[in-house]
Amino acid sequence: MAIDGLQEASDAALVLAIARYHEEALAEAYRRHGGAVFALARRLLAEGALAEEVTQEVFLRLWSKPDRFDPERGSLRSYLLAQSHGRAVDLLRAETSRRRREEREARQTAEAGYDIEREVLDLAVGEHIKEVLDKLPSEEREAIELAYFGGFSYRQVAARLDQPEGTVKSRIRSGLRRMRADLVDAGIGGVWSES
Amino acid sequence: MTHAEAVELLGAYALDAVETDERDAVERHLQDCPRCRAEVADHQTVASFLGSAGGPAPEGLWDRIAGALEEPAPELRLAPVVPLRERRSVSLRLGAVAAAVAAGVIAVLGVQVVHLNHQVDRMAEPQRPQADLVAAATDALTDPQARRVSLRAPDGRASAEAVLLPDGSGFLVAGQLPALGSDRTYQLWALAGGQKISAGVLGARPQIVAFRYAAPELSGFAVTAERSGGVVATTNSPVVVGTLS
Repeated sequence: MAIDGLQEASDAALVLAIARYHEEALAEAYRRHGGAVFALARRLLAEGALAEEVTQEVFLRLWSKPDRFDPERGSLRSYLLAQSHGRAVDLLRAETSRRRREEREARQTAEAGYDIEREVLDLAVGEHIKEVLDKLPSEEREAIELAYFGGFSYRQVAARLDQPEGTVKSRIRSGLRRMRADLVDAGIGGVWSES
Repeated sequence: MTHAEAVELLGAYALDAVETDERDAVERHLQDCPRCRAEVADHQTVASFLGSAGGPAPEGLWDRIAGALEEPAPELRLAPVVPLRERRSVSLRLGAVAAAVAAGVIAVLGVQVVHLNHQVDRMAEPQRPQADLVAAATDALTDPQARRVSLRAPDGRASAEAVLLPDGSGFLVAGQLPALGSDRTYQLWALAGGQKISAGVLGARPQIVAFRYAAPELSGFAVTAERSGGVVATTNSPVVVGTLS
């Protein structure tokens, strides 16, 4: 069935069409977010083939369980990236991936200028995100980077930074809250809770 | 796990940076705590900006995903109509035709059972809009005859989509409309000739709402927040508004 105007449809309307088995709607969701879903998984897993598997799982799950996405809780992109991140971290933590992680770390250390900022600049809001990151206290930024892009648990982060676990736990949370406040001030981000 | 213990873990939880036992405990807490659920959603939104990098996905990946989707139900094949003058040969072929038809029907039923399971799985969710309303709204959204209006808040933080069919039946699909208190309701207005004409009361947490608007004149739609029960004429600024393109 041909569907006109899907390119202009909201994410909520797309997911509604996905729930009705419109493959074109899933294709449009993939066109919008597939690249980011893949890039995040590859960033964590450092391996294209595994990142492709994660991307495939994320979109098949959207197809089979579209109701898991709640538009009141956040954007479709945020939902899909959270899925991609969670699955990638699961793989990373699996026993078999230990070696992969070590190899990846060796490679990243070898790459000069390893920099989170470069990773976000393809967005129209990239400049704002960069500013928001720059404003974070460095210890909060470091904890968030290691947890989010390194795939480490807060306990592992604490061990690496030689800091108490409770400190790292609260730095992650306070850093995220600080970034949220800055993003709201900059008028970025679709769906925030009212608190 | 107490609320205070859960709260401390929410940032790490949203970044998948907790141990499995902590994750399970946080998720049990989230089931009963809307405040913590909202905080996790916000953390994930922040994270999504950090993670929104990268160019297009690799070539050929979409084809593999599309290939792994459930097969759509095939058209039901009916037994061929046999002209009377060939009747004599019918008895000879009947067995084969019956077997072919039976195989076709079984195949179709098999596919339908898979789809029904899929539907039941989704309908078990309490907040899910009625299946036939979803179906009607989807059909309208994908109808080339329909007029569609994207409604947005001036700051981009709320959105909805309205679709109106030539027969005057319409659907409002909430994209991002924050839930209102139980003493308030959203109300939909058709914009025509500089006036706002009420097109229906939407409730405090609308998802998909059917409405009717049959007047020929229409320049757009707006949604306002009103006291419960709605109002005849509004003086409130729209939460979201959109004009016909």
